[in-house]
Amino acid sequence: MDNKSKKLKAKDFITVGIFAAILFAVEFAFGMLGYIHPFIVASYVIILPLASGIPMMLFYTKVEKFGMITIVSILMAIIMFVGGMGYLGAPLIILSGLAADFIAKSGNYKSSKKTVLSFGVFNLWICANYFPILVTAESYRQDLIDGGYSAEYVNNLFAAINVKTIGILVVLCFVFGCIGAVIGKAVVKKHFEKAGIV
Amino acid sequence: MKLDPRTKLFMVFVVSLVAMMSATTPLLWGIRLTITIIPIILLVTEKKYASALRFFLAYAIAFVLAFYFLSEKSEGIISSLLIGYCGIVVQFMPAMITAWYVIRTTKIGEFMSCMQKMHIPDGIAVSLAVVMRFFPTIREEYSSINDAMRMRGVMLGGGNVLRMFEFRMIPLLFSCVNIGEELSAAAITRGLGGDTKRSSVIELKLGFADYLLMTFLTAATVIFVMYKYFL
Repeated sequence: MDNKSKKLKAKDFITVGIFAAILFAVEFAFGMLGYIHPFIVASYVIILPLASGIPMMLFYTKVEKFGMITIVSILMAIIMFVGGMGYLGAPLIILSGLAADFIAKSGNYKSSKKTVLSFGVFNLWICANYFPILVTAESYRQDLIDGGYSAEYVNNLFAAINVKTIGILVVLCFVFGCIGAVIGKAVVKKHFEKAGIV
Repeated sequence: MKLDPRTKLFMVFVVSLVAMMSATTPLLWGIRLTITIIPIILLVTEKKYASALRFFLAYAIAFVLAFYFLSEKSEGIISSLLIGYCGIVVQFMPAMITAWYVIRTTKIGEFMSCMQKMHIPDGIAVSLAVVMRFFPTIREEYSSINDAMRMRGVMLGGGNVLRMFEFRMIPLLFSCVNIGEELSAAAITRGLGGDTKRSSVIELKLGFADYLLMTFLTAATVIFVMYKYFL
């Protein structure tokens, strides 16, 4: 197969699919924890970037063409929608993926500084999932209470995530995205480069 | 009964849409329950009795618990844990059951040909198909890795959490990457990624059951939205 061509090939799509599935599996495993306490929902911005750093850095080593990161974000948006997270965040998820793709492209998908930055931006998709909490705060709150959540849970959730804290959450998300990328890169180097998989 | 993949996708769409909006009145709950029952019945018609029963029981128990024993006033760690899990089950189970049904009963070939008919770009179609096929694989791989780790005395819990994470994540990634290589080889052998338009062995045709189900689901959604937001 011609690696130099700019067009995405079937092999690339399969790579994208696999890593999207892994990313979602990681997200799902940690997402379950959120039902214990709402503060955990807010701390996704720290947990998820760190946890998904390793698989995503492995993915970045396989990215050579524009579009792959975007497709991952499109898939995540679809999965999040099917998972009942709502459609409000979906455009934002795709947008953050697109931005991440452009950043990585500007470094030709090889520059490690750009990769770290790109992963930081990519992680903003986590914040996109908070979007309904912000925009439709009142009706969402009622929805949750009607849906059987306790008032205590809902109050804590809104104390942790609201218009005031979202700025902090976004920054944290980006920072931990970068940290996760650095850790992920180290792990990939330790395990996969040695084994010759990358 | 054999449903067209397009109907199934439509069902996934509708169920997630309804699952997102909370039900407040008995009528809305009724619609929601009906929509939840449909995939369970479909599972029975596909002879997946065990999973149909499992889903049904899980949903019923969570539903009863959430409805009769817990209210928004309940506090304390145990009830909030319980409410959390019942809430999640009641909220997301319908979408989960439907997704499970679709994944289990749709062959990848059917899925691809359906995507082609709906003029979805190849990139998204292929990646989605891989995602669908891959979830069960990840779970299998993970449980075998877990077994292997346990055999060597690397347990979850005690010890360094980070290492536990590393010892599971890395082997999982290794096997996923390898499976991916095999998958691409197999896909390319079957002509995926060629320049010509691919033909499909499976002829998709919407039957009577498809139209019936689609009409029913559309009607249910419209009524749900009408009663929730406009009446």
